[in-house]
Amino acid sequence: MEEKLIKIINTILKKEGRTELNNLEEDLSLRDDLGFDSLNLAELTVRIEDEFGVDIFEDDIVDKLSEIINKINGSE
Amino acid sequence: MKWIIVTGDTGGLGSEIAQTILEDKEYGIIGISRKENEVTKALKKVYAERYIHINFDLENPNEIKKLYLEKIKKVGKIYGLVNNSAYAYDDIITNAKIDALETMFKINVYSPIMLTKCAIRDMLLYQTKGSIVHITSVCAHTGYKGLSMYAATKGALEAFSKTTAREWGEIGIRSNCVAPGFMETNMSTTLSREQKDRIYRRTSLKLATDPKSVGETVRFLISEKSSSITGQVLHVDNGTI
Repeated sequence: MEEKLIKIINTILKKEGRTELNNLEEDLSLRDDLGFDSLNLAELTVRIEDEFGVDIFEDDIVDKLSEIINKINGSE
Repeated sequence: MKWIIVTGDTGGLGSEIAQTILEDKEYGIIGISRKENEVTKALKKVYAERYIHINFDLENPNEIKKLYLEKIKKVGKIYGLVNNSAYAYDDIITNAKIDALETMFKINVYSPIMLTKCAIRDMLLYQTKGSIVHITSVCAHTGYKGLSMYAATKGALEAFSKTTAREWGEIGIRSNCVAPGFMETNMSTTLSREQKDRIYRRTSLKLATDPKSVGETVRFLISEKSSSITGQVLHVDNGTI
C-alpha cells in the first residue's frame, strides 16, 4: 500500500516540479510540507479513490500522511 | 472514444442534443433518465457502439456517487457532461409549496452539481481537458409570470457554472451554459396556444426556438472548436432582447 501511495503523491509532486518523496514520513503535512494546494488535494483524492476505493475527504479534512494511511487501512 | 453524459436524453431537447453530438463519430453518449423510451431505443439501434442509456431518477442526488462508480466509470473516460434534465414546477409565488420546490431543486440543481463533481473528478483522474454544459433557460434572464421558482433553479446553475469555470480553468476544464428560449417540447405543454404565441411574439424572430439550433450550440460548446469559451451563457432564444 505504501509504495502505491508514494507513487500517487510523487505523480503530483513531479507535475508541480517539487522534490519527490523516497519514503512515507507519517508526520508530513500535505499543505505545509508538500505544498499541496486545493487542486493538488483534489487530484490526490481522486487518485487514492481510484486505487484504494476510499474518499479521504468524504467525512473531514485530512492533512498528515498518517491520516491518509489510517483512512486507507480503515477501509481495507 | 470521447464519452459525453447527457441527462434527460428521453425528452424532446435531450434526444436532439444526444442525436446531434452522435453525428460526430468521435463522441459516445451516456444518456441518463428515469426510463428508456422509444427515442432511446431508436438511438441504440442506430448508434449501437456509441450510445448507452442508464435508467436513473435524478430526484436522488445522494445516489449519484454510486451511479458514477458502479455504472458511468465502467463505460470509459468522461470527456463531457450536458446537464439537460429539468423539472418544471410552474406557479405564482404566493402558491409556493416546499415539497414541489424540493423536488425541482433536487432535479434541476443538486443532481447537476453532483454530476459535475463526478465528471470533474473523472477528468482529474485521467487528466482530461473536458467540457461541461448546463442547459438553463431564457426565463433566468427575462421574467415570465409563473416561472419565478423554475427560473431560480436555472439562475443557480448559471452562477454555479461561472464559478466552476474559474475554479477548474487552470487545468483545462471548461463550463458553459446554453439558455434556450421556449420550444415546442414537453416542457411547455402546460402553456396554452395563446400563451405560447404571446411568448414567441416577444422574440426578435417571432418564432419558437428550434431544438436543433440548441443541440448544435451544445455540440459546439462540448467540442474543442469552443476551446477559448468558458464561464459563458450562450442565448439560443430567437433574440429575446
